[in-house]
Amino acid sequence: MLSHKKPPNIIEIQDVRYSRGKRAIFDGLNMNFPRGAVSAVMGPSGTGKTTLLNLITGQLVPDDGAVLFDGKVVCPCSRHGLYNTRRQIGVLFQDGALLTDLNVFENVAFPLREHTRLPEQLIRQIVLMRLNSVGLRAAWQRMPSELSGGMARRVGLARALVMDPKLIIYDEPFTGLDPIAVGVILRLIRQTNDVLGITSIVVTHDVAEAEMLADLIFLISEGKVVASGSPLDMQQKASSMVRQFMQGLADGPVPFHYPGTSYADQLQTMSRT
Amino acid sequence: MTRSLQACWVSFSQFAATFGGFQMFTLRLLPYLPRAILRPRLITEQIYSLGALSLVLIMFGGFFVGTVLALQSYSTLLEFGQVDALGAFASEALVRELGPVVTALLFAGRAGSAVASEVGLMRATNQLAAMELMAVDPLQRVIVPRFIAGVVSVPLLAAIFCTMGVLGAYLVGVHQLGVDAGAFWSHIQDRVDLFDDVGSGLFKSFVFGVSASLMGVYEGYYAAPNAGGVSRAATRTVVITSVWILLFDFVLTGMTMPGV
Repeated sequence: MLSHKKPPNIIEIQDVRYSRGKRAIFDGLNMNFPRGAVSAVMGPSGTGKTTLLNLITGQLVPDDGAVLFDGKVVCPCSRHGLYNTRRQIGVLFQDGALLTDLNVFENVAFPLREHTRLPEQLIRQIVLMRLNSVGLRAAWQRMPSELSGGMARRVGLARALVMDPKLIIYDEPFTGLDPIAVGVILRLIRQTNDVLGITSIVVTHDVAEAEMLADLIFLISEGKVVASGSPLDMQQKASSMVRQFMQGLADGPVPFHYPGTSYADQLQTMSRT
Repeated sequence: MTRSLQACWVSFSQFAATFGGFQMFTLRLLPYLPRAILRPRLITEQIYSLGALSLVLIMFGGFFVGTVLALQSYSTLLEFGQVDALGAFASEALVRELGPVVTALLFAGRAGSAVASEVGLMRATNQLAAMELMAVDPLQRVIVPRFIAGVVSVPLLAAIFCTMGVLGAYLVGVHQLGVDAGAFWSHIQDRVDLFDDVGSGLFKSFVFGVSASLMGVYEGYYAAPNAGGVSRAATRTVVITSVWILLFDFVLTGMTMPGV
């Protein structure tokens, strides 16, 4: 009898190479995101965290290697196949990316209206349930311009959840929020993951929040994973790169000064001209 | 010399790339057009926002173009003893030429730039990317309804522009300059042909509607995702559409003018 066992990793990134122009963003990247866990992807600015999300969602195609979602290659070669994959993935953008001409209710109902033929009453129930789970049921009539940053992200989360995805990707969910809003988003990510039994990938450079939230942390730098493990493991790593990032040190493997000629050389050159 | 040649080549290459990109975009839209008709609510919303909300501007423009046309032509017609033909003169000029052209120019300024800014801003604020990631094709959901709405709106607006223009010419010609009302209307009935004049005017409006709408959605869709990019998209829409309209007008007038 054939068994249909699900692969243990919901996302597998296998030896991915991706360049932008002449600059290699990823050079043989390998990552596995375990099913059911909250994984945090961290790294200095410009290391390709958002590029990684774009590769997972099929917005970009790797030059070499493969990205697997639920055991199948994510391939933008067929729009139908790609859209089928995307229906199983929810994405929360940094600013929520709400549709500005629709109110909160219609924003959350948007994927249901586009992809299903559910009766209006059922759509109303699902949307109110999702809004209730993020604490914004009473704000259903508000327009996106009337929401704070934290509220917009919560509405974005309700919209990302409305199609019951297997995976939710959070792109910088804590950036620019006050401590209360950060606490709310942290709780929602954890609760959503555990209660709905989904998998979460959080791209962030907020070390404290990632340590509180994640089961597994990946630190990427210069196109590769330089360290990965539980938050406790990451604190105990001896690598200078990991220490600089986790402790927020100003100088280290990621230098304080932008690379270039020495200060003395530049002064001399400029005084000559 | 070599540098000038190089600059010319770069400019030509950029123009060819933009033109090629524009053609590809147009071809990509074609398969979506029949499917868009299955969701008429999206189109009617856009007809309201692009067409109905331009009505006041179009009516105002049409009325005053008609009044000025009557004032300007009156003295010349008087010299030839043909003031009774004032209605026919104004109507023909409006229906064949001024109606379609001025309507399209006003539409490009009011609605074309609005579409480019709106779509550009949707790009800049990740709304189009969010749709893509929700497995909703932005071309089908956002672009095609706006394009169809523009194509439908411009001929309707041109018809309203012409009607208001004739009304303006009537008020000035008959009530201010003393042209006989019966002669005004009967000359219009005699001279203005449904197929030759109204038909060619509508055909022009349709072509101008396609140009203005296509340019608006194209510039917005490919706008750089920042404030400068959105403002450039709006400006380019108005400038390029205006040039196209004037160019197409010359070509279409040559094609549709009887006896040319």
